[in-house]
Amino acid sequence: MKQGNVITVLLLVGLALTALTLIQAVSQSYALPGNNIGYEPVQLIAYPHRLHAGELGIDCKFCHTGAETSRTAGVPSANVCMDCHRFVTAPFNQVRAEDEAATKENRKPRRIVSPELQKLYSALGLDSTLQRSATAEETRIVWMKVHSLPDFAYFDHRAHVNASVDCQTCHGEVQTMERVRQVSDLTMGWCVNCHRSSNARGVKGKPVKASTDCVTCHY
Amino acid sequence: MNGHHTHDTMEHDNETSRLDRRDFLKLAGFTFAGVALTGCEQARVEKAIPYLIKPEEITPGKASWYASTCAGCNAGCGILVKNRDGRPIKIEGNPDHPISRGGLCAIGQAQVLGLYDSQRLQGPQINGATSDWPTLDRTIHARLREVRAGNKSVRFLSGTMTSPTTLALLKRFLSSFKDGKHVVYDPISRSAILEAHARTHGIRALPHYRFDRAEVIVGLEADFLGTWISPVEFTAAYGSGRTLEGNPPKCSYHVQIESRLSLTGGRSDKRYAISPSERVPLLEALLALLEGKSQSAKLPHFSFLNDLAGRLNSARGTSLVVCGSNDVASQILTNAINELLGNYGKTLDMQSPSYQHQSNDNALQTLLTEIRGGKVGALFVHGVNPVYDLPKGREIGELLSRLPLVVSFAERVDETAQHAGFVCPEPHPLSSWRDTEAVAGVVSMTQPALAPLENTRSLMESLSEWLGNRASAHELMQQEWRKSVFPRQSAEKDLAAFWNRSVHDGFAAVAPRPHRTEKYDSRPVQNVASPETGADSFELVLYPKVSMGDGRHAHNAWLQEVPDPITKITWDNYAILSEAAAKKLGVLSGDIVRLSFTDPTAASGIELELPTWIQPGQKDSVVAVALGYGRKGTDRFANIGPRWFEGKPSVGPGGLVGVNAAPALQFLNGQLLYERGGVRIERTGRHQTLACTQTYHSIDTPPLLAQGSESRRPYVQYATLAAYAEDRAAGGGPKHESRSMWPEQHEYKGAHWGMMVDLNACTGCAACVVSCQAENNIPVVGKDEVHRNRELHWIRIDRYFVENDGELDVAHQPMMCQHCANAPCETVCPVLATVHSEEGLNQQVYNRCVGTRYCANNCPYKIRRFNWFDYLHEDAKQNMVLNPDVTVRSRGVMEKCSLCVQRIQEQKIEAKKNGKKVADGAIKTACQQSCPAQAIVFGDMNDADSFVSKRIADARRFNLLADLETRPSVGYMTMVRNRTNKSDETPHG
Amino acid sequence: MVDGISILRSPLILGNKSASQVTDDVCAPLDRGPGMTWWFALAVSLSMFTLGVIAVTYQLATGIGTWGLNSTVGWAFDITNFVFWIGIGHAGTLISAILFLFRQRWRTSVNRSAEAMTIFAVICAGLFPIIHMGRPWLAFWVIPYPNFRGPLWINFRSPLVWDMFAIGTYFTISLVFWYVGLIPDLATLRDRAVSKVKKTLFGFFSFGWDGSTRTWQRYETVYLLLAGLATPLVVSVHTIVSWDFATSVIPGWHSTIFPPYFVAGAVFSGFAMVLTLMIIARAVLHFEEYITLHHIESMSKIIIATGGIVAMAYMTELFVSFYSGNEYERFAFINRMLGPYAWAYWIMVGCNVVTPQFLWFRKIRRNVALVFILSIFINVGMWFERFVIITISLTRDYLPASWDNYAPTLIELATLVGSFGLFFTLFLIFARFLPMIAIGEVKAVLSYGRKESHGKAREEEGRKVGEYEGLHGGTS
Repeated sequence: MKQGNVITVLLLVGLALTALTLIQAVSQSYALPGNNIGYEPVQLIAYPHRLHAGELGIDCKFCHTGAETSRTAGVPSANVCMDCHRFVTAPFNQVRAEDEAATKENRKPRRIVSPELQKLYSALGLDSTLQRSATAEETRIVWMKVHSLPDFAYFDHRAHVNASVDCQTCHGEVQTMERVRQVSDLTMGWCVNCHRSSNARGVKGKPVKASTDCVTCHY
Repeated sequence: MNGHHTHDTMEHDNETSRLDRRDFLKLAGFTFAGVALTGCEQARVEKAIPYLIKPEEITPGKASWYASTCAGCNAGCGILVKNRDGRPIKIEGNPDHPISRGGLCAIGQAQVLGLYDSQRLQGPQINGATSDWPTLDRTIHARLREVRAGNKSVRFLSGTMTSPTTLALLKRFLSSFKDGKHVVYDPISRSAILEAHARTHGIRALPHYRFDRAEVIVGLEADFLGTWISPVEFTAAYGSGRTLEGNPPKCSYHVQIESRLSLTGGRSDKRYAISPSERVPLLEALLALLEGKSQSAKLPHFSFLNDLAGRLNSARGTSLVVCGSNDVASQILTNAINELLGNYGKTLDMQSPSYQHQSNDNALQTLLTEIRGGKVGALFVHGVNPVYDLPKGREIGELLSRLPLVVSFAERVDETAQHAGFVCPEPHPLSSWRDTEAVAGVVSMTQPALAPLENTRSLMESLSEWLGNRASAHELMQQEWRKSVFPRQSAEKDLAAFWNRSVHDGFAAVAPRPHRTEKYDSRPVQNVASPETGADSFELVLYPKVSMGDGRHAHNAWLQEVPDPITKITWDNYAILSEAAAKKLGVLSGDIVRLSFTDPTAASGIELELPTWIQPGQKDSVVAVALGYGRKGTDRFANIGPRWFEGKPSVGPGGLVGVNAAPALQFLNGQLLYERGGVRIERTGRHQTLACTQTYHSIDTPPLLAQGSESRRPYVQYATLAAYAEDRAAGGGPKHESRSMWPEQHEYKGAHWGMMVDLNACTGCAACVVSCQAENNIPVVGKDEVHRNRELHWIRIDRYFVENDGELDVAHQPMMCQHCANAPCETVCPVLATVHSEEGLNQQVYNRCVGTRYCANNCPYKIRRFNWFDYLHEDAKQNMVLNPDVTVRSRGVMEKCSLCVQRIQEQKIEAKKNGKKVADGAIKTACQQSCPAQAIVFGDMNDADSFVSKRIADARRFNLLADLETRPSVGYMTMVRNRTNKSDETPHG
Repeated sequence: MVDGISILRSPLILGNKSASQVTDDVCAPLDRGPGMTWWFALAVSLSMFTLGVIAVTYQLATGIGTWGLNSTVGWAFDITNFVFWIGIGHAGTLISAILFLFRQRWRTSVNRSAEAMTIFAVICAGLFPIIHMGRPWLAFWVIPYPNFRGPLWINFRSPLVWDMFAIGTYFTISLVFWYVGLIPDLATLRDRAVSKVKKTLFGFFSFGWDGSTRTWQRYETVYLLLAGLATPLVVSVHTIVSWDFATSVIPGWHSTIFPPYFVAGAVFSGFAMVLTLMIIARAVLHFEEYITLHHIESMSKIIIATGGIVAMAYMTELFVSFYSGNEYERFAFINRMLGPYAWAYWIMVGCNVVTPQFLWFRKIRRNVALVFILSIFINVGMWFERFVIITISLTRDYLPASWDNYAPTLIELATLVGSFGLFFTLFLIFARFLPMIAIGEVKAVLSYGRKESHGKAREEEGRKVGEYEGLHGGTS
């Protein structure tokens, strides 16, 4: 084998490796094992964060109450949904359409219930008048967990929210998502690098002490 | 790692997820390249299932605490139950509780495991078949009507009952029959004490012993720090009398006279071994001496009594003599001595006596004769297990099955329940309402921390149902408290407020019911009959183990695996013999011997076959056997622990754990006696492995291998009180000043966590061991693995027999990770799985560990534990006890004490949230929290005012292997014994 | 090449071989095809190996718990075997590299097999650090590679990491060195080969070797360079292995004399193993005229020398432990001699200190049977040396409460047997398919020490042939 060939081969191999690393770093689609970027499971109830957090501008912590007080932000329980959806049972335009139709046919407007909300109501065992019906029994609402860390990694929402880290920093622009998708790779390197840079630059100009000890997350 | 850390508000099948993950790791390892090429690989799908309607008080991921009362034994210690997402996962002592003062024993700690016991009955049973409550009640009502119609009598047999509500209900229930009686006995009976007081003081009561007020303590066969009446309370009180504070240092004088080496005897200042038959003569001699009479010459080997009598005389009113025997004669003499010393009303409180033991062995005997005589029409059995507890159990069983109506309230089909037509299981104490007045004036509250997991009903409810007006336990209690508890206090004017405060505090301090004691009557003392002594044969002593008690918790794997504080043996009971006796019989530890004796009341002779254990401090003529073993249902442990072709079961030859020694009990002079003479011992030639956690027991190295000053290893610093009074650093070797070639590696800018263990306070009771096990998800490994020295307890209590100027001292040294500043383990790990934290913790990262075990080899303290197998978590119900804040380790990784880092993190984050620094004492490690003696202190060593810093400044402080320059963050404090000679200090090589 | 011949020198190769004879003799076993003995030997060693495979599979599936280890003794059979095999390897490198640099011509007839032995021994050794891990499927974590953990590197302070590098290097260099040495002979085989397959195979692996002077020149240079590279490895590898223990805090491990002590021990055991193998080989393959008594004697002498160093080390250890005034150190060594494992210690002393002393006697050195037996004893003794150092030190360290004993399980014994099985299997296959003696190099020393009495002319011719063939890798 000529000397030249050897060098060429070496260069090619090196190039390939570099490419691999770079692509991983930037791409959303391609990832090394254990990395779930782009995970976007279909949920039982097509809950649109875009509408609630985006258009209506409801604060994340209004529903994810644990974020400030507990290690887990928590998925809101159905009674939280009912705070609003006891009254709001369908999109506004549909309701108005029904009202107009009703006034035309001069009759009482029927209650419009969107199919997605119907799932919520039936889970709670409510009948069409949103009253607790004796016959129907309650059923669990099963959500697909989008951001899931391995069991040996302990993430604490309290520490981050109270250090005024935005939810978006890790979860991405959820308020623009119809269905929630994982945007950060949630690898250890990703966590550690953020901790390092926060120690250097602080969060929102506020100096912070983000420990990089192993026991910060592993115990 | 495996997925046992169940996410908050999140379910996923532990077993499967665990496998998935490990398979993935294997895959990733073996075919790493392959996986890398396949690119995006999807992790397992996890589901999040929120509450439909979330209870107000529950925040997913946050623990809530409920004050309650421990029901592990009769002592009635106060507890706090830690709930995570509705699951009790840990029990801790209630620091405000007047009895236990924050401590909690091993048995108490293990109760949370019992809550998730899959062996518990799922519902009521009729004739062995599962039934439902309405049917059961209907039948029982019918049967009771028959009984009322007939002229048969009704008996309610129970253990000591301290619940005012239940007692009141029971009274009403029994009074609804022509002849209804409540018979009380305890498997470990203290009946003689009450009997003696009935005779000498005219009141059948158990005095409330006040060790905190005693300056001279004489324990006669009374293991009051281990198993006697209220060990947690007594340990705290005893410790408060030996704090070594002030000048002269405060330290009571404790003499222990006993036939076997007990936990209490091991830490006494002076200890004498006697045989049970010598007890009465000894007491008589002591009494005589105190009365000023000269000692009778026939007891030459009791010469030490002169000195003892002198000591007692000089401590009138501040001394305490306690006797653990259930022999009335001995108790009467003990009362006489205490009376003579004027201790009543001072160190023995009769005004607010203890209700912790109310057994009446005479009544029990009467009941047995009644049953034999066919006089009993209905028998209710609650909280006791006569077929197992009592001699001639089998016969009792047969009698029971012949009775027209037997109702058991057992939580599982135990030896007695299988003879009962009806079993009405009670909910676990952690999921029921109860009240407890263990000591007059302290009414403790038990509130449910979890809805009952089985279809159960508490005794109160059952009784109220059978009385015809069904009410819930909660209502019944409130009614009773209005009547009998609320009026006894004046602090709260409003009942509801009083109730709420009691529920919140876990107890209510009220005025004790009036007790009328007559003036001391010395007549009983005159006609004391001393029992006959066994000639050349052995005397058998039956005792309860610290972790097993009367055996009611024998189904609890945690307790089975607790090493006995003295013998360090797990998973067995055994026949304890002295060195000399064993030599005489030609047996070694583990050789099975046959104990045989004839019982006048029994048709044939009785035999027990047990493995031998040779124990220093044992009286040569005595053989001691632990009760509480050989329970029905312990066959469940046959397959506990790893399964592989060399693995052996954790059960004995009989298929059960240990052997039941109850057949050796006897009724003598009306009392259930735990000793008997005339026992013959012979070898069987068979052998049984005993799983002992130590292979070497002395602090002195084998004489052949090291001589002179080097023979004793300087790990347990010891000083006599006299020496300590002169020099607070007495017993300390040459102080090692730290020299290092290297610049300081770690500058602990923030906190620097440290721990101090006071060897003078530690009794070795093993409460910390179980507490740690519960907190840190430490699996049970089983007898065979323990025998192979692979137990996984993160905190092990090293037990050394130390010969200090003629006294056999037992030094208990809790050993957990020492969190060295120069940690030998950290330098050798190839993958950085164990590294130093900025706060001085030696971090062990399970998920990074590849398991070379180099760190464990290089640990001079040998505190690292390795996962030799995948320890099974098959019982889904039992997995509910797992602490979600601690990873469940998988096979092949190293683990060790983390100083409860999960608790540190929790407190740090909370403090940060409130913008404060962590307060001293806010973080309590699991071991520290449960320690009844408060021997363990944890805190920030950078904070000069912290408790731990003060301990470090103390002259008694020393570090293990300081000359290795490992610079541990865990330190120890010299053990001081109240002795007069100043000569001896720990020799240093 | 063959300058400075004198009547004082006895020839290295007996039987007045001509170059072509050498080729024939050495290739004879390969041409002859496998005999009964070979098949039998292979069957035995293969079944040993299979046993090991079963044991390791079971252990990997069930857990390290299937070994007799415990919380106190974390290493025993596994690391003992590891150090033992690494040690065996050393003789090969020493013979091929150091003796080459020292122009020890007698090495030519043993170096090929010795090097082969080295490679196989290192393979056996290399298995143990991997299977002794709790999670061997993550063994690759000890290699520093770019990762997404922060990145998280490895602990360069850990002797285990040094081990990984040391053994890796050692294996690579030995393999290359051995292979380069093989090339001329592969050419010879190619030229002798009849079957098409063999021809192409050997042709490929001999890199199209033409015996031209230019090729030889290059070859000699490369060989010399590789020898130079391999030489420090002889010292470095076992030095680093010894640091696994020397850098720890355990009495009996923590010792500064370990590096020289271990290296000497390694060479000692290595030569014992070479002797064991060679003595069998020369008998079975009739190489008596190539591996002569002279060879056996010289190797015996090396054993005496290294054995002496080892004995010295034992005594030094004892002296230091007593002189140190460190109670733990002292205890550790008294415990070795009188403690529960005293038997292991005295086996070690017996085999490693007493046995070599017999080799002082020429009679014994020249008695093949005796030397064979002695070499076996030394192998056993050196295994026990590692066991004594590693295991006994761990059983009783500091806290008496955590002292504990160790006994191997069936799985461990099977694993040890398996490693021997692997070793012999590989060696047998080597003996069957490759020339066990470096034909080219032997030819170069053919005429070494040949008697004048054979007559000038013949001697002249012989030398010519010798040179010619020696240079041209035998094209007969």
